[in-house]
Amino acid sequence: MAEPVRSRLRKLLPWAFGLFVAGIVLVLTIAYSGIYSVAASAGHPDWLDWFFALGKRRSVIVNSMTIDAPVLDLAELVPLGAAHFQGGCATCHRTPGQALNPVYDQMLPPPPDLKTHAPMWTREQLFWIVRHGIQFTGMPAWSGQDRDDEVWAVVAFLEVLPLMEAGDYRQYARGHSEAQNYSIREIVSEGKTKINLTACNRCHDTDDAPPMSPYVPRIGGQNKAYLKRALREYHSDLRQSGFMEPIAAELDDEHINLLADYYASLTVSLGNPARNPSTPKLEPGRQLAEQGDRSRKIPACLSCHGANKRPDYPRLDGQSEQYLRQQLQLLQRGGRTKTPHGAIMTTIAKRLTEQQAEAAAVFFASQPSAEQVGHKAGEGLRQ
Amino acid sequence: MSHAIKKMFCAVALLVIAGCDGGQSAFSGLGPVSSRITLLIWIMFIGAALITALICVLTLISIAGPANWRHKLTGKKSIILGGIVFPVVTLTALLIYGFLVLKAGGTLVQAENPVHISVVGEQWWWRIIYRHDDGQTTESANELRIPTGRPIKIELSTADVIHSFWIPAYAGKVDMIPGRINTLHFMADKPGIVTGQCAEYCGGAHALMSFYTVAMTPSDYDAWLAKERANAKPAIDNQGEQLFLSSGCGGCHTVRGTQADGRIGPDLTHAGSRLSLGAGILPNTTEGFAKWISQHQTIKPENLMPPFDIFSESELQSLSVYLNSLE
Ligand code: HEC
Ligand code: HEC
Ligand code: HEC
Ligand code: HEC
Ligand SMILES: [Cu+2]
Repeated sequence: MAEPVRSRLRKLLPWAFGLFVAGIVLVLTIAYSGIYSVAASAGHPDWLDWFFALGKRRSVIVNSMTIDAPVLDLAELVPLGAAHFQGGCATCHRTPGQALNPVYDQMLPPPPDLKTHAPMWTREQLFWIVRHGIQFTGMPAWSGQDRDDEVWAVVAFLEVLPLMEAGDYRQYARGHSEAQNYSIREIVSEGKTKINLTACNRCHDTDDAPPMSPYVPRIGGQNKAYLKRALREYHSDLRQSGFMEPIAAELDDEHINLLADYYASLTVSLGNPARNPSTPKLEPGRQLAEQGDRSRKIPACLSCHGANKRPDYPRLDGQSEQYLRQQLQLLQRGGRTKTPHGAIMTTIAKRLTEQQAEAAAVFFASQPSAEQVGHKAGEGLRQ
Repeated sequence: MSHAIKKMFCAVALLVIAGCDGGQSAFSGLGPVSSRITLLIWIMFIGAALITALICVLTLISIAGPANWRHKLTGKKSIILGGIVFPVVTLTALLIYGFLVLKAGGTLVQAENPVHISVVGEQWWWRIIYRHDDGQTTESANELRIPTGRPIKIELSTADVIHSFWIPAYAGKVDMIPGRINTLHFMADKPGIVTGQCAEYCGGAHALMSFYTVAMTPSDYDAWLAKERANAKPAIDNQGEQLFLSSGCGGCHTVRGTQADGRIGPDLTHAGSRLSLGAGILPNTTEGFAKWISQHQTIKPENLMPPFDIFSESELQSLSVYLNSLE
């Protein structure tokens, strides 16, 4: 650089520094003086709105660039996404056919109607928004830590939401739960009937229907001690799930005991999810379940998940392939290590190859659930 | 020598000497093979010390000795005698002696009717298989029992990585190499208990991979082997056995005579009658079992048994009492 330019720059330096400090002092003075109103009622000046909108859009676009969206099976995911939307998002974002509660409409910015807003984003961008939330707006992040796998069900739902009529939506959001028609006396004292967050039937199995989605586990006929433990673990943030934690947070010990009793004694009269893979396809999984794999130091799954095992270990028979695969992948990622039981299974899951996890999921999904074995007068599959 | 260095030297020397004592020492020489090796070691050691001393004296003389001595030392004769004849003679003698020692092991190799045992190195414990004359086998773990006065033939293999089987008191190290079976022969002179150790780094818990070797009189040994071969006695403590089976321990451990038939971890049919737990690291007591089950990942980090922090105090107690009763 030429000498005169350099010396001029050197002279400018103190001025620049002075300006910088003055700027900081100005900002602090404005903040301290209280001149700027943070009132939501005041709204944002247009330039600030524009600035925030730009920042949000660019941030979502840039941050979601590295995300690889999987193929989404809408039929499997939408019911779960809808049920969660009802419990976790509808308060702010309204449901189809319903006006937004004026309380939430007064947020700044107000939560948008996603029927019109969801199509503005790509699948990856929707994922990123629902997974991470949006600063300065009140849009929360996903409530299950490191449970990115769960978010896709909600994304699938958001993609079909624009096409949904109020009736379709209600059907999904309600699942198997029944709308009671309160009499006017009941309405007066109980309030209008609504779909309750803690209505398990919205997602889980009933005595005559499978879960609403293969990503929701069967809990009817599951071991009582395991059900209790699982609900307590969701309740106290020891087991992560964005779907179950908000629900379990509302349950106290008494509810948990009642629910575990109820589901443990629920007899499942329904057959298996309609799939019946051919036997050769089942063979590797059966091998693993009954014998394990000595070369990889994997014990037989049935030595812990078979008949007459500890009641605080889960049964796997009749659980869907999707759920089993998802949980095995979660265990392999170390997503269930916060509890002693989870630590046992994590050790074993980490020894499984991808193909072995797949094979085990296929095998256990093909097995009739424990109840049905019992019904057939004990002529069980195993000794 | 500064004071600190002196102190350190003493500490190291003490450690070295302490290491030579007791059951895990190449100097104890409790069998014909190892006692000859020990003798060879001593001859070499003392010989080397003497030669070193001699060289020191000669060096001193050549620097500060009387002139006529110095003159003699530089003579052709002393160079031929001391530099050529002496080394050739000593080294040849040692070589021949070495061959003789080797041959002592060789006669054991040809011995008829040796006691036949297989040992498989596993990360990080020892699977021990006694081969009976009728072709059947009995599996045990982490403890080798042998009769005195009979040649022992041990077949060494590995289930995973390279290990090295070493009972310093009886024989030299022999590697356990994937895809191969190496054979080790030795004999124990008198009854006694010594320790062995894995002598080739094999991953995480390598340093905690030891075992006891118990040499017994032939009649004691036969009685012991007959007991070891039998199934576990029906449990007195039914609750403990129930816990063992329902918690999934049987998926990895065998207790012959029950449904537990896992082959991934040590056979526990007679676990209560062994000297140690966890490959030589915990005492074999009810408390030892409880400690192993509840804290094994702290005591022996990275070992391949899953952590089982799920038992209540009383469950842990019945489980430990049950395991300890498996004699
Ligand atoms: C506490 C109220 C609240 C809850 C609960 C909430 N949101 Fe939001 N959400 C907002 C607000 C506020 C915005 C930001 C609006 C803006 O930036 O203009 C937003 C933005 C969004 C957007 C981006 C829309 C756009 O075009 O800017 C999506 C998508 C979204 N939310 C989905 C969800 C989902 C799915 C759930 C449930 C898991 C949920 N939200 C729960 C308040 C909420
Ligand atoms: C919005 C749908 C939804 C609702 C409503 C719901 N669940 Fe769940 N539940 C799930 C999903 C999804 C999982 C799997 C979560 C995971 O990955 O850990 C689950 C898991 C569970 C598990 C653990 C099962 C196992 O095999 O580990 C139990 C127990 C359970 N739910 C009980 C209940 C009960 C009781 C209620 C009612 C109070 C309820 N759930 C309501 C969706 C729901
Ligand atoms: C040593 C005992 C043991 C063995 C062997 C074992 N598991 Fe598990 N498994 C458990 C325990 C304990 C849990 C409960 C973990 C928790 O609560 O977080 C579990 C949980 C699971 C779950 C999650 C179930 C649910 O409802 O969420 C799956 C899937 C599973 N195991 C599959 C397998 C497969 C496949 C095998 C065989 C390759 C196997 N397990 C072998 C102990 C075992
Ligand atoms: C996944 C397989 C597996 C399961 C399940 C398992 N173990 Fe182990 N266990 C091992 C292995 C491997 C070792 C050897 C560890 C070492 O020393 O490196 C071992 C060692 C032991 C030892 C020490 C044995 C000895 O000879 O020193 C005891 C005692 C034991 N286990 C008890 C149990 C009990 C009780 C359970 C059930 C609560 C159980 N194990 C479940 C694999 C397993
Ligand atoms: Cu080793």
